[in-house]
Amino acid sequence: MFQNRTEGLALALPAAVFAAALFLLPVAILLSEAFRSDGGWSIAAYVDFFSSPRDRTVFFRTLRLGALVTLVSAVIGYAAAYAIVQLPPGARGRIFGLVILPLMISPVARTYAWLVILGRTGFVNQVLTGVGLTDEPIRFLFTETAVFIGLLQLFMPLMIISLVSAMENMPKDAVPAARVLGANWFQVFWRVILPLTREGLVIGGTLVFTGALTAYITPAILGGSKVLMLETLLYQRVTVANDFASASVIAMILIVMSFSANLLLKRIATARQAR
Amino acid sequence: MSRTVAIVVILGLTLAFLIGPFFIIIAASLSAGESLAFPPEGLSLRWVFKVFEVDSFRESFAVSMFLAVFGTLAALALGVPASYALSRYQVRGGETVRLLVSAPIIVPGIIVGLALLRYLVIPTGITIMTALFLAHTALVLPYAVRVVSASLDNLRTDIEEAAVLLGCTRFGAFYKVVLPNIRGGVLAAFILGFVTSFNQVPVSLFLSGPGVRTLPIDMIAYMEITYDPSVAALSSLLAFMSIGIVFAAEKFLGFSRYV
Amino acid sequence: MSDYVSLSGLTLAYGNTVAVDALDLGIEKGELVTLLGPSGCGKTTTMRAIAGLITPRAGTITIDGRDVTRVPPSRRGVGLVFQSYALFPHLNVFENVAFGLRVTGGGDLEPRVRAALQTVGLSDFSGRRPAELSGGQQQRVALARSLVMEPKVLLLDEPLSNLDARLRLEMRMELQRLQRQTGVTMVFVTHDQAEALALSDRIVVMRLGKVEQIGSPEEIYARPRTPFVADFVGFEVILPQPDGDALAWRPGGVVIGAGPHEGRVLGVSFAGERREYLIESDLGRIKADAPVDEAALAIGAAVSFDLPRENAVRVSA
Repeated sequence: MFQNRTEGLALALPAAVFAAALFLLPVAILLSEAFRSDGGWSIAAYVDFFSSPRDRTVFFRTLRLGALVTLVSAVIGYAAAYAIVQLPPGARGRIFGLVILPLMISPVARTYAWLVILGRTGFVNQVLTGVGLTDEPIRFLFTETAVFIGLLQLFMPLMIISLVSAMENMPKDAVPAARVLGANWFQVFWRVILPLTREGLVIGGTLVFTGALTAYITPAILGGSKVLMLETLLYQRVTVANDFASASVIAMILIVMSFSANLLLKRIATARQAR
Repeated sequence: MSRTVAIVVILGLTLAFLIGPFFIIIAASLSAGESLAFPPEGLSLRWVFKVFEVDSFRESFAVSMFLAVFGTLAALALGVPASYALSRYQVRGGETVRLLVSAPIIVPGIIVGLALLRYLVIPTGITIMTALFLAHTALVLPYAVRVVSASLDNLRTDIEEAAVLLGCTRFGAFYKVVLPNIRGGVLAAFILGFVTSFNQVPVSLFLSGPGVRTLPIDMIAYMEITYDPSVAALSSLLAFMSIGIVFAAEKFLGFSRYV
Repeated sequence: MSDYVSLSGLTLAYGNTVAVDALDLGIEKGELVTLLGPSGCGKTTTMRAIAGLITPRAGTITIDGRDVTRVPPSRRGVGLVFQSYALFPHLNVFENVAFGLRVTGGGDLEPRVRAALQTVGLSDFSGRRPAELSGGQQQRVALARSLVMEPKVLLLDEPLSNLDARLRLEMRMELQRLQRQTGVTMVFVTHDQAEALALSDRIVVMRLGKVEQIGSPEEIYARPRTPFVADFVGFEVILPQPDGDALAWRPGGVVIGAGPHEGRVLGVSFAGERREYLIESDLGRIKADAPVDEAALAIGAAVSFDLPRENAVRVSA
């Protein structure tokens, strides 16, 4: 609209310079650290990381938990989103608000709740011993299950939000039309709902997956040093071992995964705009 | 009717999973007992009062509050002009600028914190507090740009031309015509930035030093040492604070439009 | 150079696309001139250049004897009524109209705003927000907001296009009344030839960034000089002649029933006092009108017709 290009650049420059100097540059140096050893360039740090069984375990656990949380979020998310869309508008807004609400609350507080629920004297064990299902309290904390539950609760709202907005954009009569044509519920889901909400699923899936991948608080509180994920491993490497080369490797893995997920997200978003 | 039942059951279970835990920490924080338990051993407010007596909580709350308010203001000071330039001018390299300012959302916070500590704090000798401030500003910048850009894109551009034709300077047109009309978006960006910054953990993980710690980090440290319900009480208080802010924002701004 | 507003050699471009090419135009004081043409003809671009919202690639613009080519928009003495009105959503009607006076520090703010609102008949609406007004009322606010600044030239960008048909007619009259009352020089941009013919002192027909013809409404309507203008004002039957020129007829100028040309009816539609035919003939597809009291011809029927020379205008191709 305005033709004065210097003026535009002058307005945008402070933010760009700030981001470049205080953000991009330090991160770039950190990432380069893994390639520097004894004054030369090498990929030894990467070889070390992937040849260590312990590090590989953490790497695959992070991927596994990320994938599992995404999958379960999607399954529950579809049911919940479909139910929300069926509600009358007023109730829909209120329920939707309740789904968004947890996102605004401190993740530390949200994760802490699971300590209360899953702890030795926690809610679940009280119920189990009370009913007599078990004599000894079951150990939930510091297991993958606990981390999984914590991550699921933390990130599922993102999936539900994406799916609700995808379903709101679905043609109103698509599902009844398919029913009238004789499709059963499985066919309706597979042939109508899923294709029409695929974008929402991918967007929600990307948000949940990257969120779970780069989570720190949940594995730190509910997993401890027994169930390490990439971020808690990175923290440990720096604070305990002072090992910056391997921290740099982990940083690179996290950034590459997060960046590719966001690239995918952006491609989908622009493909939608082009239509 | 079985349909209605199915809807109620699905939503009931989902919401119980998402929100139920809050009720449990609220209950746990009202416990009269010495350690964390549910159901609570008797009722009292002693742990709620305890929260206010813990020095480190008071100090870290002040730190977090300072960062959330001033980090977000700084992000807006950088982000509003940038958003305006990106939406109204044909800036050469505009896409690069957009990518740069939104990068902090893509790069995990823990990496940003570590990088700043090692390559900014240690070489230049700036204080941890300054580094935290810069890190939180960078963290909030993408949200500020995204929300403000969205409300600028929804504002018609001809009113600025009209203002210029009626005698305004370019800056005058921005100040008198654009700003009043994107006020809602700027406020929403502030709230989103505030909440994001206040709740942020990974960025601040490495950026803590003697006497300088954000509240969430302090909570994690505290719960590693003690198992008393004071963290539950603090979590409840923080949850109520967030709910209050978001509820007010929704009521006055239609906040969820901007998220 | 006695013209009040004068454009000479005006060339306007967006990037590499030339929107207006070496345009020359003079406008007299108090005149209402319409820039008429289809979208993309450069009419809006020209208007925006007069306002100063676009910097010309070449050429000059003078207003009231002063070269304003490099003068910023706010100091040209030009008012602009935007197609979408561009009212300030956060200000009420009074403050919208007062905006320019407040910014430039003009005196007598209150009475001047009141007078402007009275002129457009909105005295009772000064406390309302733009969103609480109808399209026609918003239009009047936009007019008042420009008029209160007492511009030397008032530019109007398709001001009637967002109004419904009945309101459009009303606003057209209103604009004429305002112009007579204030004596302001107006440049009116539209793609609607009926609107241009009804309102203007002079019409500038534009096409692809160039002027096709300038003339009074009567001239444009009765004596178009190019096939483009002819087609635009309803001479839809255009036949090239051996000498390189062309002859053009209105559908009503074609005589059906007898004549040297043969054709077949492709389509017929009833339009009140006449029937409109589309005829496939040895001359190509031809539009022709016939009175309704003549029996309707069926689709597919053979028809002979005449193109009388006296009903045609000669246009240079």
